[in-house]
Amino acid sequence: MVQKHFTVKNAQGFHMRPATNFATAMAAHPCSVIIRFNGKEVNAKSPMLIMAACIKVGSEIDVVCDGEGENEALAIAANMIESGFGE
Amino acid sequence: MRITDLLKKEGIRIGAAPADKAEAIEQLVALHGSCGNLNDTAAYREGILAREALGTTAIGMEIAIPHAKSAAVKAPALTAMTVPAGVDYGSPDGLPAKLLFMIAATPDGDVHMEVLARMMQLLMDMDLTDKLKNAKTPEEFLELIDAAETEKFPDEVKAAPVPEKKEGYRVLAVTACPTGIAHTYMAAEALQKAGEKLGIPIKVETNGSGGVKNALTAEEIANCDGIIIAADKSVETARFNGKPVWSTKVADGIHKPEELIGKIVNGEAPVFKSDKKAEASSDVGNEKLGRRLYKHLMNGVSHMLPFVVAGGIFIAIAFLIDTASGVNGGSDFGTTTAAASWFMAMGKAAFNFMLPILAGFIAMSIADRPGLLVGIVGGYLASTGATFADPFAAAATPSGFLGALLAGFLAGWLMKLFEKLCDRLPRALEGLKPVLIYPLAGLGVVAVMMCAVNPIMGIINNALSNGLLWLNNHNLGVVLGCILGAMMSIDMGGPLNKAAYVFGTGMLTNAAAMTDPSAQAVAYQIMASVMIGGMVPPIAIALSTIFFKNRWNAEERKNGVVNIVMGLSFITEGAIPYAAAYPLKVIPSCAIGAAVAGGLSWLFNCTLMAPHGGIFVVPTIGKPLLYLLALVIGSVVGMLMLAILKRPNKTEE
Repeated sequence: MVQKHFTVKNAQGFHMRPATNFATAMAAHPCSVIIRFNGKEVNAKSPMLIMAACIKVGSEIDVVCDGEGENEALAIAANMIESGFGE
Repeated sequence: MRITDLLKKEGIRIGAAPADKAEAIEQLVALHGSCGNLNDTAAYREGILAREALGTTAIGMEIAIPHAKSAAVKAPALTAMTVPAGVDYGSPDGLPAKLLFMIAATPDGDVHMEVLARMMQLLMDMDLTDKLKNAKTPEEFLELIDAAETEKFPDEVKAAPVPEKKEGYRVLAVTACPTGIAHTYMAAEALQKAGEKLGIPIKVETNGSGGVKNALTAEEIANCDGIIIAADKSVETARFNGKPVWSTKVADGIHKPEELIGKIVNGEAPVFKSDKKAEASSDVGNEKLGRRLYKHLMNGVSHMLPFVVAGGIFIAIAFLIDTASGVNGGSDFGTTTAAASWFMAMGKAAFNFMLPILAGFIAMSIADRPGLLVGIVGGYLASTGATFADPFAAAATPSGFLGALLAGFLAGWLMKLFEKLCDRLPRALEGLKPVLIYPLAGLGVVAVMMCAVNPIMGIINNALSNGLLWLNNHNLGVVLGCILGAMMSIDMGGPLNKAAYVFGTGMLTNAAAMTDPSAQAVAYQIMASVMIGGMVPPIAIALSTIFFKNRWNAEERKNGVVNIVMGLSFITEGAIPYAAAYPLKVIPSCAIGAAVAGGLSWLFNCTLMAPHGGIFVVPTIGKPLLYLLALVIGSVVGMLMLAILKRPNKTEE
């Protein structure tokens, strides 16, 4: 299991496009991907669940990947979140 | 923000049959237009299309949620459409969209995110989405959403009818006092009653010693006319940003509740801004420096108080147990029997936290959370007396209570300054500040500061010891008794107290090896004056709270009783909360009372062979009755001095 802490920095947070892109990117990996936010765990492969979590700018989140390809998945997740989803 | 607040039945179209995505969008935009949600339909449509160009807003499960933030939107709103035959919306799962919502959001704010999040939470329920897709009328559609929302967010059910009555609580209030036992609740009750009398709905949050009760919710804050803060300590205010806030003493909440409510209702309260600059300037404007100092100080004192009381009583129990088991004095009095040792050790464990807690919460009141570490460590270093040469404080002099006060204030202010300086750091480092930058820099600064301050305290301490010996050698015994008594009470555990006490116990140790009985007697006289000086302050204060009630507030009076026990047990620390709150009144009064007692004890030739123990070691005292007389006289003098120096508390009568 690997995990990393992030502060969401794009102004809109995980709104629909980042959530969809993120979930799509994560779904491509066999490992499980979970976002820990505000004491809750969210399945990061579902755009709906990500959006439902209402993760705004400045939120502190942990991304936890567990299973096959966990390192690649986390690297991609880090790249997406840290680049502010290209926004 | 409820979905049903944003979605009107006029904005819902059941059984639409758009030929393609473009036509579906056109229909949803038109619904927004006909509901009067838009200033500029064309501009809004452009926003929607621009968003779709970045990627589809279909989210799978036959649902699509096109959305745009645009200046063309008057107020946040939703429209919805069901398409029984489905329309190709480029969904990731390839299914045609049958249920469409379109969000119109204003460019500012998080409404967009919140609506989106809430819709997702509702739409996760497949049962609901199926029912929505099959709804026969807009009314049915809306009812389904309303029911689901009510079930999912039951907390709002109560809040929902409130807007119909025009508003909920018009006025909100927060009450808090340093000890958080009586005033907090008295003010809350007075405000509540005044609100009922004036017919103005009011809700009062109490920040008492038992934590926050009846907490104000974000929704209540958003909907109220303004907030009254009646508090003598810091309360959390950031949440009131942008609302009219009237800040005042907790006493005003008790005595002038109607006036305070009037301030809010008549719009006299200034709008509160919580960004740092505004906070600093409004602080200066609204609160005098003295009042701010008092608030910080009381934040420290109120947190320290439980440690003093619990630890002090445990130590007293230790002495009591030793006395009961027939031990009379001796250098290990209070730790002779196993049971006494246990109570002594546990009591001291609580006492050891006193100075760190005092300094820590003073600094936290000044500099918020980053101040906690610097204050606690500063207070701890004040209690050990660490220096650069002797960082582990193997042979150091604690700088005590005064050192801890210094540590709390200096550390807090330095930290606050440092936080301001750090505002210039790049935003990327924001997350690192609270976990790494503040603590690291803070620890460095406070360590250097305390190691620099402690030796100065050590020098003061040494000079005092030498002065005492000189006096003793020149037969100025009564003066010495007075001075020792005064020293014990001036800083209550600080360098002066320490010097006098170490001098006293040092003489006691010497006395054991002395062959000359008169020299021995002098040594024991010194110890007697030292102990009596340390017993007077808590007793003088306790007497004052009993006989001059109007000088003190309810909590101070309540704790006064405990101080009698503390004083009789030679636990001077009981006086610290009072000395910290009113140093210029309490310290001179106690010092004079203690000086009188110390001098009298010497004059009466009272002797003491135990280093500690207060009333429990009376059997070891030479001329015990005269000793008690000296104690009573000294305490009464201290009480009378206090009555003269500390004027009656007008608001507390």
